[in-house]
Amino acid sequence: MILTGSKIKEEVKKGNITIGPFSVEQVNPNSYNYRLGSVLKVFDKFDGNKSVFREISIPEEGYVLEPRKMYLATTKEIIGSSKYAMSLIGRSSMGRYGLFLQCSANLGHTTSKHRWTLEIVATMPIRLYPEMIIGQVSFWKNYGAVKKYSGQYGFLNHPQESFAPDKQENYDSNRK
Amino acid sequence: MILTGNKIIEEVESGKIEITPFDKSRITTNSYDLSLGETIIRYKTEIIDPKVETPYEEIKIPSDGMVLNLGDFVLGHSNERIGSDFYVPMIHGKSGTARMGLFVHVTADLIDIGSHGVTTFQLYATLPVRLHVGMLISQVSFWVPFGDIVLYKGKYQNSTGPKPSMTYKDFKYDIFKKD
Repeated sequence: MILTGSKIKEEVKKGNITIGPFSVEQVNPNSYNYRLGSVLKVFDKFDGNKSVFREISIPEEGYVLEPRKMYLATTKEIIGSSKYAMSLIGRSSMGRYGLFLQCSANLGHTTSKHRWTLEIVATMPIRLYPEMIIGQVSFWKNYGAVKKYSGQYGFLNHPQESFAPDKQENYDSNRK
Repeated sequence: MILTGNKIIEEVESGKIEITPFDKSRITTNSYDLSLGETIIRYKTEIIDPKVETPYEEIKIPSDGMVLNLGDFVLGHSNERIGSDFYVPMIHGKSGTARMGLFVHVTADLIDIGSHGVTTFQLYATLPVRLHVGMLISQVSFWVPFGDIVLYKGKYQNSTGPKPSMTYKDFKYDIFKKD
């Protein structure tokens, strides 16, 4: 079951959902509108093993994204829940501009709590402004006992590129 | 919880789900298939700026179809009017559409409860693809909400065709305002 806006407000009050800063105006009928942070990581080069990014502050007059190239950013808000699973997506007003906010990795684990890293891809050149409302997060009831999140990203508050190791030997144990 | 196809039929009949026109043969196990309408919107600008209205052109898909090239982004719409005051709709591509490399939304699959109208497709082609009016391009699923319902009253309500983004006239709050 997906939480309604009223339920999201209730659970923020009870502390079962964290959204900080929280603004009632950003509550939708079944999601919460989050803002873009003010830091962007721009792809610089591929070093043969992994992508290297350089970090910039998004200026007040905005920053134009080039199409078909991924940028990393974060939500302005710290978002998490001890009780619900989350799905973080774009908002329809940005989808209508052809802006992807993540690369098919929308699922947020119960008990993670942080500024989410966004994987932003523009299909057309678009100007983004710091702290603009850019996407939505929805909250979902769990079925089954919750195991505490033990991943490596769910507590980070800065745009974080992949930690995936770049050497084959690191994956050998996954082979049958 | 997600509704089954049988439950979607029941709720269309009881009036709790709106799908117009409705054709039972388009019900799948967990969704309903949506067809592509004839109007396409293409933005006419070098750089999109969400603070200002973006110029666009409206195109009718001709009878022999319309080709999207790799990298093209346009807006389309469903022929069907959809919505519910009781369930949360979610838009998906059909696997047949996805296998052509075509996105039908750009990470914006969630529809607000209480939103009614034809849905706008965010069409992004990763390979060349020919669009035809009436092709079954997308599917909508319905999900059970948890908590008191407050219905959608937003700016895209009662859309009758593709609706370009209206960030420039967000009246509810200033989306660019800093706290």
